[in-house]
Amino acid sequence: MSAASIALEPAAGRASSGLWSEIRRNPTIFLGCAILLVLAACAILAPWIAADPLKHAPVNRLKAPSAEFWFGTDQFGRDIYSRIVYGARVSLIVGLSVAAISSVLGLTIGLLCGFYRWFDGIVMRIMDGIMAIPSILLAIALITLVHPSLTVVIIAIIIPEVPRIVRLVRSVVLSIREQPYIDGAVAGGTKAPRLLVRHVLPNAVAPLIVQATYVCASAIITEAGLSFLGAGVPPEIPSWGNIIAQGRVFFQLTPWVILIPGVFLALTVLAVNMLGDGLRDRLDPRLARRM
Amino acid sequence: MNAVTDQLAPPILEVEDLRTHFFTRDGVVRAVNGVSFSLRPGETLGIVGESGCGKSVTALSILRLIPRDLGRVVGGSIRFEGRELTGLDEQEMRGLRGHRISMIFQEPMTSLNPVLTIGLQIAENVQRHLGLSKKAAWDRAVEMLSLVKIADPHRRVHEYPHQLSGGMRQRVMIAMALSCDPQILIADEPTTALDVTIQAQILDLMLELKEKLGTAIIMITHDLGVVAETCQQVIVMYAGRKVEEAPVEELFDRPMHPYTRGLMAAVPRLDGRLEGGVRPRLQEIPGIVPSLTAPLPGCPFEPRCAFSTEQCARHMPPLERRGAAHDAACFEVDRVLEKSLV
Repeated sequence: MSAASIALEPAAGRASSGLWSEIRRNPTIFLGCAILLVLAACAILAPWIAADPLKHAPVNRLKAPSAEFWFGTDQFGRDIYSRIVYGARVSLIVGLSVAAISSVLGLTIGLLCGFYRWFDGIVMRIMDGIMAIPSILLAIALITLVHPSLTVVIIAIIIPEVPRIVRLVRSVVLSIREQPYIDGAVAGGTKAPRLLVRHVLPNAVAPLIVQATYVCASAIITEAGLSFLGAGVPPEIPSWGNIIAQGRVFFQLTPWVILIPGVFLALTVLAVNMLGDGLRDRLDPRLARRM
Repeated sequence: MNAVTDQLAPPILEVEDLRTHFFTRDGVVRAVNGVSFSLRPGETLGIVGESGCGKSVTALSILRLIPRDLGRVVGGSIRFEGRELTGLDEQEMRGLRGHRISMIFQEPMTSLNPVLTIGLQIAENVQRHLGLSKKAAWDRAVEMLSLVKIADPHRRVHEYPHQLSGGMRQRVMIAMALSCDPQILIADEPTTALDVTIQAQILDLMLELKEKLGTAIIMITHDLGVVAETCQQVIVMYAGRKVEEAPVEELFDRPMHPYTRGLMAAVPRLDGRLEGGVRPRLQEIPGIVPSLTAPLPGCPFEPRCAFSTEQCARHMPPLERRGAAHDAACFEVDRVLEKSLV
């Protein structure tokens, strides 16, 4: 008994430090996390580290990057640095909320589809239908129907993302349910709902987390694309897509207005994808080999 | 040997004329075609036969675990403690599974959920069937692990299946199956996936626990060695039918069905006689198991049988009592018995 409790402690110690050592050992996860943490810190601390992103200053129109305006100014004299810092909020909120909500929805629907054949037949046809429409077009159509706002943009991006997650989860469930340990659980008298939540669901979590990071990256790009097209968040909200859209006219004169938010957009998506790749290698080695 | 077997006690499980059919595109597969047997408390019953003879389907039928879209029990009766199981609804069956009748499967490597700790998998079973609290169920899991002789159960209970060896996992499966004190343990090829030394350990463990807990065991196997070591009564199945049944010593002394003889001759023997320095070729049973979709009118073993006659091809030999507690389904039992065993 005492031997057992002694043996327990180092194991418990390892488990708690496991996540951190794992992150340090895996450079892709580390770099991805580091970039995202800096961006998130900027987004959260925006009011303290940036000026008013909406303040028009005609005197300072189209200024090149300088000590006063790190990333220059746009045609209304607004500080691009401040707009980018506030724009990070939009991108991160969209990325995270789309990833979280579509994962929950996709997981629920995917589990039911994989487990109940009749449900599968109906729902997968609907999912196929949604997937047949290009996601940007679907989002534009949804946004034109209602008054544009951040919430509407998020919902418009979630809808085309959900079927992809449903497919993934469903395929995992279909393979898991054939596993002998599921038969074993049934032979032990387990009810279907419990079987689903206790035995099937944990197996679907690893691939789902990986997929969620890709959804997050694609949501950030889609939001920027929608904003650029004028179908995204309202123009008064500084988002990276909006900054690029508004700087488009003066591209030859002041290319930094487009290039700098473009670099941030690329960097963010790269960081999310690196995190996703690192997690995939770590959580699901089989998936890594297949892709 | 049969100290715990109470020959006078009423059987706890009576299977009568069980018929399980699968409905496939190529027709109806009669996987189990009229099998009857009974199991007494504390008895170990062996079911032997080659792959596809219906042994596993018989076991799955008892617990009603045949996938409903593939096949079902179409006839016969299964009585457990006098209660007819074929008429029970799904909820009542769930109450029996893993509680009164447990099952362990062949593949210890894949029969445990890789993402859950073994303690949780055992505790879950106990919590559900015995209504124990989380704490009590966890204690029970530790107790079961020490019962199946896993060293350091307090630590092991927190481990995941991949941290255990194959033999240990099969011990965990046994612990899980016995955690609710079942009346019957159905072991479907419990040692097939293990290497020989571990096999012996697992069989010893099962027998020891059987003595301790008084559980009756249905041992499904293709390995006559396992049968000889563990069972008291043996059923030989072929093509969905019971072709022979006898107490284990009787069966090995006087196998009456040519198929049983074939099975025995096909066991490799280390003490096989050397002829001119060469080991005799291992005896095989020629041919394959006949199609179960279009059964022949006669004995299903007839095409592969060395003793077959015209009668065998035309008529199905009935299962008849041929000796003390010895049943066989063969017209040519006398001729078979004349030929000495190798």
